[in-house]
Amino acid sequence: MMGTIIFHFLVAIVATMAFAVLFQAPKSEWILCGISGGIGWSVYESLLMRGNHLMISVIVATIALTLFSRIFAVLRKQPATVYLLAGIFPLVPGAGIYYTAYYLISGNMEMFASKGRETVEMAGAIVIGIIFTMGLPQAWLNQLAKLRKE
Amino acid sequence: MSKSKDALTLAVEIGYVMLQNGGEIYRVEDTVMKIMEAYELEDHDVYVLSNGLFASANEGGADARSMIRHAPLGSVNLLKISKLNQLARDICEKRCTEEEAWERLERIRNHKKDPLWIRVLSTGIGSGGFAILFGANILDGIVATFIGCMLTFLMLGCEKHKVGRFATLLFSSIFVTALSLIPMSMGWPVLQDKIVIGCIMPLVPGIAFTTSIRDIYNGDYLSGVIHLLDALLTALLISVGVGLTIYVYQNMGGVMR
Repeated sequence: MMGTIIFHFLVAIVATMAFAVLFQAPKSEWILCGISGGIGWSVYESLLMRGNHLMISVIVATIALTLFSRIFAVLRKQPATVYLLAGIFPLVPGAGIYYTAYYLISGNMEMFASKGRETVEMAGAIVIGIIFTMGLPQAWLNQLAKLRKE
Repeated sequence: MSKSKDALTLAVEIGYVMLQNGGEIYRVEDTVMKIMEAYELEDHDVYVLSNGLFASANEGGADARSMIRHAPLGSVNLLKISKLNQLARDICEKRCTEEEAWERLERIRNHKKDPLWIRVLSTGIGSGGFAILFGANILDGIVATFIGCMLTFLMLGCEKHKVGRFATLLFSSIFVTALSLIPMSMGWPVLQDKIVIGCIMPLVPGIAFTTSIRDIYNGDYLSGVIHLLDALLTALLISVGVGLTIYVYQNMGGVMR
């Protein structure tokens, strides 16, 4: 189980980095964009594996990666957007969108409803996670930058 | 006195390029405001929507100015946002003159797109990586990487022929779903669903959705709703494309495994 998580952490980093390149993130930030995505995915996956609710897993994962983005935004004087937009991709319910469409076409209404709800739940969880972390005062984060200078 | 005109133009142009490349409303507004303050304009104000920007300065004075810019929703370029952010910072801290600022803005605006092979490879590797993340095995990942690379060419073709954004999305999702059915119907041991999921990741509205949340959080409801609508329509079109293709395939006698 640990092996899968580590393997997936690395894959998530590579995949997110590829997207960071696609959205033309600055070269110097590619690695950090990747790690942001890796953190999001690993937190999500390990929480889900321990039997947590889907929404809780996504909320905590979003909080982790948004916090990471905000911290590195301060430390590296970049807009937090750079790390956040790339890093959120592993949590975006692409699979949900696919399965919802698939079960609708296949006429499996029970699975359609279940996958549709899952997709909406994941999107809602991302909203909660981002809003929660954005709510933390910027001053706290600026404190970090000061600590580093000292 | 043309100082107010120049300063306002500079501030608005910087904000405009930022908005075009996917900056959030709050950041654009903040940047324009700070630059105008740095040049000590009086009576200035700015109002930004996701697809437009309005600013005015010295309203009571003889050299009153206002500017409007229309910025249709476009693609995101994080490098430009980051560089403009740095430029605005330098202007506010008086570390660069007005001429230098114009020069830097011009350089950022004319920044070349990445070469084709980088776009092809990054879409491919992204697609393959996400396919594996969602439970595909290595073979599926390789197929997804290949389809992702092909997808870039399709999207470039659409861009060249000025196909609308929504039509491009629809074509793209039909394209990746159709391609993923080929190895499956040839009897390869692949997980077709995981391949499609990986390949629709470059199309999925992650950025529009995240931007919309941040806009609404900052109180820019109208802009947030514009982006949210964009995200919802995008998700809808992807599922229409996927669904349509599978429907046709099944009706042609194809079997899903």
